[in-house]
Amino acid sequence: MKNWIKKTIGNKDSSQKDWEKVLEKSKDFSRVYYNNQKNNMRFCITSISTLVDEKVIQEEALPRLLEDEWNTIQDIKKVLPITDMEISTDPAKIEKKLLNGYFMLTIDHHEETFAFVSAQKQVGRSVSPPEIEFSVIGPKEAFVESLSQNINLIRKRLPIKELIVEEFTLGSLSKTQVAMIYIDNITNEENIETVRQRLSQIEFDAITDSSYIVQLISDNSNSPFPQLLDTERPDRIAGILAEGKLAIVVDGSPHVLIGPTTLIEFFSSFEDYFLNYFLSSFFRLIRFFAVLFSFLITPIYVAVLTYHYELVPRDLIGTLITSRRPVPLPPILEALFLELTIELLREAGARLPTKVGQTIGIVGGIVIGTASVEAGLTSNVLLIFVALAALASFTTPVYKMGNTIRLLRFPFLFFAQLWGLLGIVICFSILFTHLLRLTSLGRPFLAPIYPPRVRDLKDSFIRLPFRFQSQRPVFLNTKNPTRFSKEKASKKKDIDE
Amino acid sequence: MQEVIQERFKISPFLVIYMVLSMQIGIGVLGFQRIIAEDAGHDAWISVLVAGASLHIIMWMIYKINESVNGDIVTAHEFIAGKWVGKILSSIFIAYFLLLALTVVRTYVEVIQVWMFTDINLWWFSVCFFLICIYIIYGGFRTVVGISFFSFVFHIYLYPIFFFNLQYAQWNHLTPIFENSIKDILLGSFHMSLTFIGFEVILFFYPFIKEPQKSKKWAHFGLFLTTIGNTILMIISIVYFSKDQLAKSIWPTLTMWKIVKLPFVERFEYIGIGTWSLVILPNVCITIWIASRLLKRIINIKQKHGVIYIVIAMSIAINFIDTREKVSLLNDYTGLAGFGVTFIYIPLLFIILMIMKKVKKK
Repeated sequence: MKNWIKKTIGNKDSSQKDWEKVLEKSKDFSRVYYNNQKNNMRFCITSISTLVDEKVIQEEALPRLLEDEWNTIQDIKKVLPITDMEISTDPAKIEKKLLNGYFMLTIDHHEETFAFVSAQKQVGRSVSPPEIEFSVIGPKEAFVESLSQNINLIRKRLPIKELIVEEFTLGSLSKTQVAMIYIDNITNEENIETVRQRLSQIEFDAITDSSYIVQLISDNSNSPFPQLLDTERPDRIAGILAEGKLAIVVDGSPHVLIGPTTLIEFFSSFEDYFLNYFLSSFFRLIRFFAVLFSFLITPIYVAVLTYHYELVPRDLIGTLITSRRPVPLPPILEALFLELTIELLREAGARLPTKVGQTIGIVGGIVIGTASVEAGLTSNVLLIFVALAALASFTTPVYKMGNTIRLLRFPFLFFAQLWGLLGIVICFSILFTHLLRLTSLGRPFLAPIYPPRVRDLKDSFIRLPFRFQSQRPVFLNTKNPTRFSKEKASKKKDIDE
Repeated sequence: MQEVIQERFKISPFLVIYMVLSMQIGIGVLGFQRIIAEDAGHDAWISVLVAGASLHIIMWMIYKINESVNGDIVTAHEFIAGKWVGKILSSIFIAYFLLLALTVVRTYVEVIQVWMFTDINLWWFSVCFFLICIYIIYGGFRTVVGISFFSFVFHIYLYPIFFFNLQYAQWNHLTPIFENSIKDILLGSFHMSLTFIGFEVILFFYPFIKEPQKSKKWAHFGLFLTTIGNTILMIISIVYFSKDQLAKSIWPTLTMWKIVKLPFVERFEYIGIGTWSLVILPNVCITIWIASRLLKRIINIKQKHGVIYIVIAMSIAINFIDTREKVSLLNDYTGLAGFGVTFIYIPLLFIILMIMKKVKKK
């Protein structure tokens, strides 16, 4: 019995000194002793100086601690005006609280009880306009890196009590706070349960961005297609939460994840809802055609010129032959050369700082392009196609999907070289099979095209006016599918009534 | 034995129409006109209509068979003949569907060899095709139905193209109606079987349909659409081609696409043949799916492995059919087998099942 007691006391001492020993290696671990002026009691403030806001300690906590009368730790609650305070005897909490920006208050000779007082330093940028999803009209607020600031932006737009925020702490080293947000009486329980289960089962060490979460909880991490949408705009999040989807906010990342999502959503920008429905439908259709054009035009060029030059109308074939006459390479090599050049330009331009990057981009594009045509390495028709295709692949509002479209071109080129137009159709069927098999949080990725849900088509390829949008999307299986009462919204009146 | 399929693998009843449509529109559509016009002359369109109408009766029988045992045909076989004989009966269908898949792929490759790429390698192309089918089947039944949905949606743009042919139509080819005897017309309907078979697959995936009662009207509607479509196609072929021309063209549908004049493309049949690969993809997928599923139900081989075995067997078998005569023979045999299954076996099964039900009730 005696031995056991000695062992536990010994353990306690050594454990306390363990965390002290590790923390003392850091320069920013500060331990300052003060004497209370009224009853000459010595107390100690322990903190990590880079995490705490010195102003809070100096201006709010210290004057009161030094001048007011207090004897035990429990009195602190009356003395200090800071609300986020915790009194505890558990040494396991020390690490967690100190490293979250709390400072620890202990009285000399009574070091088993300590108080944690919040004094976090708010470092980070303030709310700025979105970079990727910039909209000409509409709000220009974007998410920032701080979790509480982001949730504030969302809650401001949906001030109802049903907006639930569930928090998880993920990552053994990074201890990242991840919040799952949904509206309680709308979102389907299955979706909520899926996300909750997947998030709580994540095993990783350092989660620094929301894209890590995407790859860890995706249905199919082998697919180049992203299965969770990410956005920087709080108004978009408010819109999708109202539809019945879930949002996942990660501390330290300005991109918020949305699930379950469909392929069509990756081609809709939130600006579509700010414009007239006619214009926005037209722009959406242009985006679809741009994407199709972007990954089909070069393979069609290769297929037609290698195998099916009889397909080209008689007038156009003259131009094509004249442009290809000086080129010694077969169409596939020509196309690959140009595609790789454009990819090189893009990758190089992404790494350079803005001023140098712009110049290199223009120089590279114009000079290399013109020079290669004059040298006879490529034909100018193909140059136009490749440049247009590169331009068209930028029309996708979501950056992740734009990257995927860039990549899609290469299998199509390979199949076009193998079996011409037939190869392109075969590659298309492979692509479609892949998309058919893909699910986003368990829901089919190609809804509302397949399984065909005609009612959901009102907001996919085209956007119908708001008076038609009275039902929430069918594929989400929401608990409350009515958004607003349709009869109230559009009363039927006769002429001159 | 009944099998219980989980709700999340089932399809909605509306999608049955796409299964029926995609199975019926295969390689037969490309070249059926000559064979029927051989027997029925310019009344061939009546043969098509008669054949199509009789199919509705067969479809009604199919649904009755499935409903009475509330399962697929393997359950029905077991019900009437006991476990072991039932299994032997079901195994015949594995061979039937393999034959169907083989015919479709080989005929299509022959079309490519004649019309597009004369020296395409049969083996590489069919292996690639089968690999895509494996990828689709591994995605489950829902993916297979999805592919049939997409193949239908992506190839219907081909049908309005026949308006180009109507410009040169000679409507007096159709008259006088009923010049040929009823016997010839019925003979034409008999030859129509290769084009029309395929809808009996409902017998095999019935447990996968949610609320099967609702799917009946869609299945019949699908049959109706193909009947009307084929009849119209036959009429267009008769008015466009002269009698001797039709007797000499092996693929009248493709020949009709040759005269299409669009401002941005010269030879439209390349696009048509390219799109047709998307049309036959669900044919091959559904048949391999059914064959592997039958293997699973009869001999208990996992469907994942069964698919691989089937594909290997077919890739070897397809090399043996290298000449035009062999392809033609294969088509004939498949047509006969299809006729046997659809018009002889299914009514027989239906009658026996009804009798056994009455007997077992007592």
